[in-house]
Amino acid sequence: MATTTFDIFRYQPDVSDAQYRQSFDLEHEGDFTILDAILRLQDEQDGTLAVRYSCRSAICGSCACKANGKTVLACMSQVEDVKKEFGTETVQVDPIGNFAPLKDLIVDMDPFWEKFKSVKPYLIPDGPAPEKERIVSKEDMQKLFRESACILCAACYSECNSLAADPDFVGPAALAWGYRFAGDVRDGQRKQRAKLYTGEHGVWDCTRCMYCNERCPKGVNPRDAIEKLGGIAFQEGRSMHDAGARHAKAFLISMRTGGKLNETVLVPFTKPIGAMFDVPFAIQMARHGKAPSPIPHKIKKLDEVKSLIKNVKETI
Amino acid sequence: MRRFAYYPGCIAEFSSKELDATTKHLAPMLDIELLPMPAATCCGAGDIAEAKPNLYLTLNVRILSQAEEMGVDILTICNVCTLNLRRANKMVKEDARLLESVNEELVKAGARPYEGTSDVTHLLWYISTEEGLSLLEKQGPKGLNGLRVAPYYGCQLLRPSSVMGFEDPDKPQSLERLITALGGEVADYEAKSSCCGFPIILAREEVALKESHHALSQSRDAGADCMVTPCPLCHLAMDAYQRKAEAANSTEYNMPVLHLPQLIGLALGIDNTIMDFKRHLVPVDRVLETVAG
Repeated sequence: MATTTFDIFRYQPDVSDAQYRQSFDLEHEGDFTILDAILRLQDEQDGTLAVRYSCRSAICGSCACKANGKTVLACMSQVEDVKKEFGTETVQVDPIGNFAPLKDLIVDMDPFWEKFKSVKPYLIPDGPAPEKERIVSKEDMQKLFRESACILCAACYSECNSLAADPDFVGPAALAWGYRFAGDVRDGQRKQRAKLYTGEHGVWDCTRCMYCNERCPKGVNPRDAIEKLGGIAFQEGRSMHDAGARHAKAFLISMRTGGKLNETVLVPFTKPIGAMFDVPFAIQMARHGKAPSPIPHKIKKLDEVKSLIKNVKETI
Repeated sequence: MRRFAYYPGCIAEFSSKELDATTKHLAPMLDIELLPMPAATCCGAGDIAEAKPNLYLTLNVRILSQAEEMGVDILTICNVCTLNLRRANKMVKEDARLLESVNEELVKAGARPYEGTSDVTHLLWYISTEEGLSLLEKQGPKGLNGLRVAPYYGCQLLRPSSVMGFEDPDKPQSLERLITALGGEVADYEAKSSCCGFPIILAREEVALKESHHALSQSRDAGADCMVTPCPLCHLAMDAYQRKAEAANSTEYNMPVLHLPQLIGLALGIDNTIMDFKRHLVPVDRVLETVAG
């Protein structure tokens, strides 16, 4: 048996507006998850302690929370492992981040579900329904293997750095679902999806902090899905429709013309109008030797690179 | 003397030349021989991957193959280059069929195929091990004279840990070990591994400047004399864009930001003109004064 102190975020708006922390000591066996602990506390010490959960088996995705600041599935996270990982006898339990708390560990998931719905997370095939099922090859299904594993627990959303700065960002989970269908050979909306996912708060909002890939308990790798959606946008002719897309395009142009980043192309290409009005900043940069060189940098064996750009086929 | 294929990355070669120059000057002191890679391309910075994923992979494997031909591992001084190269390496090392198809493309383009034997390491990883720190000790550093340094890791040298794998991304300690070994004090703060916003700073400046605010304000509140970073992109976001971040967030940071080799250079007492601090937008005067004592 072990004893652990649980330091838990509390918020009971029906009683008071105060958000505070409460400590509970609990004696428990070695094989004991964070969710086991919360439910035991609820049962034995404070029946008002609120938590959302269902399957207890890392399938339903309802019990995501923060344990010592790190987003986990409560049912999948062993208390003793968390203590060992952080070298503490206390486990701090908090609601997931980037959401408004509703009660204790329960957050308002509405914005998450609205964004999820906004990506049309279902198959929209072309033409009339076939008589038999639509057959997909193993190889084609394999491409969607990771994204299909998403359980919508919002662990990625909880720590997304872009979302923290822009609450309108559609977020990693919804975009992973977007790729799940945009990349499905049975879907008939690839072009429309490319447009839908690359608006102001879509694919190009991702700041590549990599927290989503790090935290996902199911190995979905949402950032990789976002990247593939960028690729689909390029395939569907949307390489000039957003500053984010033009930023990526400037790298392709640089690669073709010299093999290295050409900063003279990057800034005006990404934001032609913004760059024109940002003269004071450009002067500051130039004063400190950061003005881009007008001569493109050229690597040796550039022909190899040009040939690769011409011949490598994308298989998204 | 450990030999490396030197892959400084585009930013260190162009916008942030001071980083490249300081690294080259320090290398022999750190027992490193840097071999140039004249045919290496940009790693694509995540942008090529976001436009043409297969092309990203092929271009990065081409770089790995060049180092393999030289018979050495790659040394980087940029988080983004490190992630892009290591990720491509992991992808082809774990999938023989993928490596085969990438090699077919390379051979068709007249480039050398890759056998899968290169490794990629960052200067921070090299120097922050026990062995690396003992190299610094041998140089008899004059030290940082108690300079309070806020370690800033950024994202892509830590995450995803399945690709990077050098240290726990939630409790990184390499910069802390280095700062302490060089006679500085660590100014600790929570946002040291949050995003600087640089990848979207041109396309979504207002979002990016809200991101950099966390590390800049917290390091200031932790009483840091300066921040140190292993990544030139983070450096641009934190230094070059700092005045913009101050305006956007209605506050002042006045936070000098050092490149990793500059911190080492200060402790070893190398000539300030080599480290070229005038290329920074935020003056580093208070750092130089503290170190000088």
